[in-house]
Amino acid sequence: MKAQRVSLWLVAAMFFLCSVHTRGLRRCLISMDIHHIEETFQEIKKTIQAKDTFQNVTILSTPETLHSIKPLDVCCMTKNLLAFYVDKVFKDHQELNPQILRKISSIANSFLYMQKALQRCQEQRQCHCRDEATNATRIIHDNYDQLEVRSAAIKLLGELDVFLAWIDKNHQGPSAA
Amino acid sequence: MWFLYALIPCLLVDGVAVLPAPQNLSVHSTNMKHLLMWSPVVVPGEIIHYFVEYQGEYESLYMSHIWIPSSWGSPTEDPECDITDDITATVPYNLRVRASLGSQTSAWSTLQHPFNRNSTILTPPVMEVTKDGFHLVIKLEDLGPQFEFLVAYWRREPGAKEHVKVVRSRGIPVHLETMEPGVAYCVKVRTLVKAIGRHSPFSQVECVKVQGETLPLALALFAFVGFMLILVVVPLSIWKMGRLLRYSCCPVVVLPSTLKITNSPQKLISCRREEVEPCATAVLSSEEPFRAWL
Repeated sequence: MKAQRVSLWLVAAMFFLCSVHTRGLRRCLISMDIHHIEETFQEIKKTIQAKDTFQNVTILSTPETLHSIKPLDVCCMTKNLLAFYVDKVFKDHQELNPQILRKISSIANSFLYMQKALQRCQEQRQCHCRDEATNATRIIHDNYDQLEVRSAAIKLLGELDVFLAWIDKNHQGPSAA
Repeated sequence: MWFLYALIPCLLVDGVAVLPAPQNLSVHSTNMKHLLMWSPVVVPGEIIHYFVEYQGEYESLYMSHIWIPSSWGSPTEDPECDITDDITATVPYNLRVRASLGSQTSAWSTLQHPFNRNSTILTPPVMEVTKDGFHLVIKLEDLGPQFEFLVAYWRREPGAKEHVKVVRSRGIPVHLETMEPGVAYCVKVRTLVKAIGRHSPFSQVECVKVQGETLPLALALFAFVGFMLILVVVPLSIWKMGRLLRYSCCPVVVLPSTLKITNSPQKLISCRREEVEPCATAVLSSEEPFRAWL
């Protein structure tokens, strides 16, 4: 009887911790308007995706990457992917069209703002990185490096809708828990 | 004079005269509308065109050579540019302007301190509080899709609870509460801009009240007296008017007794010729008062 009670308490505590960690992402991005970034991307999505020469391949939507991420790892994964886009993807893409450049600039600067917000969360110990998130991030980096730089950059730019929808879903609430 | 001539080559760059760069760049931002302004470059008789470019923090950190032409400011003839559509993230933005006249261009003039939209001035929103029957309705000004409104309303009585409603619709009347007659309801509102995580100050408080259903006693009594008066006065007036009309249109004429003739005119005529005396007497009896009057 005592053992049952202890195990029940442990399970309850785990659920509580899960919900706290999931809410961690939502609290960190509370002043972020994801829909505005999604709308900005929709305006250039067709043009960007039309330039993707490997349309039957995906980097973000594989079972080992975004879809495998558990609620506890959402914050870390978001932080890692934002850094990847800001440090690598946007730089590797050379855009000449001023209209497209304007939209990519808007998204890139919004990602920079999100990064800062998540960094503040990390300082408050609300964004822990477990092995699962680190491994998933490494898989994405490896898949990216397998392609030629510009093709890889265009592909990941074209998959921004996948990334933004994933952030939006996790940003909306503890349903993922 | 020779000194001035010697200076001319300094004013030319690659054989092209250089315009002075625009000065005193500043950004005026209110309710997430951002306006870049500068002192105009004046060349008498000429129209100067200005080119505006911006660079977000991302570009300044990772691609410092990239400057993006402003949506509405490249080119512009006015010494100001609406950069609202360019500043789309809550990060510092560098801004620069240069003047152009034909083949001449000025150097770029850069904003001294980068502009971040979280420094925008948020003003209390304009609201219109109305009553639709017993319904408390509020209409808010349209400040754009980035604004939400926090509406606080309460009954104006001691210990009343304050309710808060978040309104996202713009320019459309919103129902707050069904009011109780005779109770005043007060409303105040402020904006929230999620993109920068800031609120505006609250607006002035406005209160409205719906009149009670039961009329005051004096008003009811007054209405009753007035109704009774109308019941009496109106028929009386109608009767009087009727009489007036009858006398005006078809008056009954009553001859005075002195003008009444008792015999027929035929008899009178025959009396004049043959029976003067009896007729005269008869006539006299009618004429006497008349002669007496003459």
